[in-house]
Amino acid sequence: MLGGSSKSGGRGPSSSPLPHTVIQTSRPLRPSRYVPVSAATFFLVGSTTLFFCFTCPWLSERFSVAVPIYNGVIFLFVLANFYMATFMDPGIFPRAEEDEDKEDDFRAPLYKTVEIRGIQVRMKWCSTCRFYRPPRCSHCSVCDNCVEDFDHHCPWVNNCIGRRNYRYFFLFLLSLTAHILAVFGFGLLFILYHRQNIDRLHAIVTLAVMCVAGLFFIPVAGLTGFHIVLVARGRTTNEQVTGKFRGGVNPFTNGCWKNVSHVLCSSQAPRYLGRKKCVRNVCVQPPFLRPQLTEIQLAAKILDNGIQGDLHRSRSSLEMMESQSCDSEPPPPPKPELRYPGITRGNTEECSLLNKAPPTPTMYKYRPTYSPGKNHTALTHAYANQASQQPGFCSQPSLDRDDASDRTPGGRERSEGSREAGGGGGIPGYSLGGHSYPSFSDPTVLSGVTSGTSSSTHTSAGAVHISEATTSASFKSLANQTPPPHHTSRNGSLSYDNLLAGSDNFNKVAAEVAPEVSAGRPCTPAAASYSSPFLSSQQRDAELHSQSPHHHHHLTNPHHRFLHRSASSTPPPHPPTPEREHLLALPPPHHHHHHHHHHHSHHHHHHSSSSSSTSRPPRFSTPHLPTRHGYPYRTRSTDAPLGSTSTTHPAHSPHPPPLGKSLSYSSAAAAEMQYRLVRKASASAGANAALSQMKPLSQTNGGQPFFSPSFCSAPSSPSHLLSVSTQPGLAYTGAALQQSPTHKPQGNEVKKVTGLGGTTYEISV
Amino acid sequence: MAETHSLQDLQQPAVSSKVFIQRDYSSGTICKFQTKFPSELESRIGKQPFEETIQTLNNLYAEAEKLGGKSYLEGCLACLTAYTIFLCMETHYEKVLKKIARYIKDQNEKVYAPRGLLLTDPIERGLRVVEITIFEDRSIGSGR
Repeated sequence: MLGGSSKSGGRGPSSSPLPHTVIQTSRPLRPSRYVPVSAATFFLVGSTTLFFCFTCPWLSERFSVAVPIYNGVIFLFVLANFYMATFMDPGIFPRAEEDEDKEDDFRAPLYKTVEIRGIQVRMKWCSTCRFYRPPRCSHCSVCDNCVEDFDHHCPWVNNCIGRRNYRYFFLFLLSLTAHILAVFGFGLLFILYHRQNIDRLHAIVTLAVMCVAGLFFIPVAGLTGFHIVLVARGRTTNEQVTGKFRGGVNPFTNGCWKNVSHVLCSSQAPRYLGRKKCVRNVCVQPPFLRPQLTEIQLAAKILDNGIQGDLHRSRSSLEMMESQSCDSEPPPPPKPELRYPGITRGNTEECSLLNKAPPTPTMYKYRPTYSPGKNHTALTHAYANQASQQPGFCSQPSLDRDDASDRTPGGRERSEGSREAGGGGGIPGYSLGGHSYPSFSDPTVLSGVTSGTSSSTHTSAGAVHISEATTSASFKSLANQTPPPHHTSRNGSLSYDNLLAGSDNFNKVAAEVAPEVSAGRPCTPAAASYSSPFLSSQQRDAELHSQSPHHHHHLTNPHHRFLHRSASSTPPPHPPTPEREHLLALPPPHHHHHHHHHHHSHHHHHHSSSSSSTSRPPRFSTPHLPTRHGYPYRTRSTDAPLGSTSTTHPAHSPHPPPLGKSLSYSSAAAAEMQYRLVRKASASAGANAALSQMKPLSQTNGGQPFFSPSFCSAPSSPSHLLSVSTQPGLAYTGAALQQSPTHKPQGNEVKKVTGLGGTTYEISV
Repeated sequence: MAETHSLQDLQQPAVSSKVFIQRDYSSGTICKFQTKFPSELESRIGKQPFEETIQTLNNLYAEAEKLGGKSYLEGCLACLTAYTIFLCMETHYEKVLKKIARYIKDQNEKVYAPRGLLLTDPIERGLRVVEITIFEDRSIGSGR
């Protein structure tokens, strides 16, 4: 019966909850899968049959006929639940169709965060099923399906236990425990009354049955007790075993009573596979009705044109950006003061830049190469920690904007200037705005930049290109979805809406960044100016960081909270995954470019004096910028988070950390970039001291902590992120770079950008 | 062919794009969809009818998953009959799903098809997304 049957599908569609198996046409028959279930069936049916044949007749005579009836009922219950647990669809999700996937495109974040009752939960992209796994869903490798409310794959029933059949599995365990107890008890009774005739066949058989029952009782009772606890706590086996809620709060629990009643009394969940496809005979023919434009909408459109948008930018930048991003026509370029930092183009690109990326670590799903399984567990805690630290993720862009505007009117100017100064560099600066999670936005920004710059975003030139394309594409779609009501959720915790909106914004940012980078790249002076501030700031940071090794602990700025926490919360990363190795295969020069972009993203203040130190920057930036389209950033970013998670990495190799452990993807990427950039810079400058200092720094949380104090001449805490160091000592930095914020470069135009803490920097364009 | 027919006359308009309304997990794993109005539909349908549709769907799904006396009795009966009752009886959830399918069909006919949109029953996607297909609007020539 139950044991040997393989899953066969293709039955007619029906809505019956009875087991409805699916065929796995391409899966080879594996006989070893059926051994446990066959053994279980054999022992269960065999032993019970022997019990009924040899023990029960005497018992029914001696005591009562109720004994076999009772045992019969329990055995029937056991069989029914065993059958349902074995053959019922556990809640398999059908594979997502192609068009659903388009939104996420080729490159999209590996994880999406969603907030469930105030707790950040991460949804992972399933490369097989091609959707983001809903919470509590997991992909069973044995069955090769994503299962809803995945509990575990039970070999004894050769089936996954999920939402639909957990009840039957649980009842099977309960009834089996009762059945074993009954068989053992009545067998014992029989033996006690037959002590003198122990050599009779009946007694021998009864003893054998008792032995089997006694043998199976301990594991079955243990498992039953385990699941009783799980049901009471509202957890799945998967969650319990992986320790997801260890020491934390389970967002899926409703209290013991409700949990139990949900398992036992809820209506049978529907099957997703094999359903009757409803015939849609709705006729859709033009002409189509159009909604009436209300006054509000018209007013919004006016605002979208950017005429009044500038006025609103300081107030609700994100909202403005969203409306702009939705426009089909690009708004006129805003005035420099009001423009988003570093953005010179008044089109949707600006919006994307303004809308920072969601804090979700950009673990890009390199679908051909990525192996999800490895990183999942490793990243779970890391990401969860990070996510939990960034409640205001979605609000960050607006916060940044508001903060930037609140801080200094020149802030935007400066970031704007920085953007002009270094194309792609300016863009990251913009996105960072000297606030919150520049690290997160950096990868996306950079990737967007790179994707923009390289027209053939999807070439097979390397993972970088691919990642670029994906980033920009994903961000694009995300940016388009940014809703005005986003406001309310910004201040609060991260919500799924925000996540989508954020990613939309991010996409836009990426899209915007790309053209900027392309514009800036061919220009050597721009590149030079782009790279030099990065280097100088890096070096300064390294210097400062070495001086104050624990500065990162002072990060109390809520904007940097996630960076700070992420640094301290995760353990060192695991060995590289195949995806990481793929990334690592990228040529070294990409690193520099990567660092360039990344560093810029973190340091949107591009020191005006960068142009003065032209000797280093051109060497550093020029050869790399044209060759790399900033893609390595994307690839590296996936690796970087792992490295950045640990605050103490003195011996950390320069290679990107494994993908699995990203706490703060962006911060890690930033650290990675900074690390590499500094290495290059220090190598060329001979500042080995800086390098050694930079090494541990790059491994710290996002590297931003050390950047900020080193750069900042302003108050320490707010200036963490993007302050420019005024301290000498970094060999690379030219004298100009080390000047006070008011230093004027000898470059062409000078843009003033204000970083955190009010430090202003001048960037030569 | 002796006679030429415009493709437009013969077929449904081409699909311009698809919007996916994702699940709202803020209250847990109960089936609930986001009522956030997607920007792609701004030019096609008003916010009000859309939100009304999604809200009704959410209410229907909440009714399906409700832990009430009805579902409890159904479970007891199924247990007592060794689950053979499922061969002849439709579960509560399935009944509500049928109701939802009828509602979506009704909405499509009355509200969405006239606007060049089409709702897809989320059960076809495993209750993960509500898919809204946007059709090309050739009559205006916008080529959307």
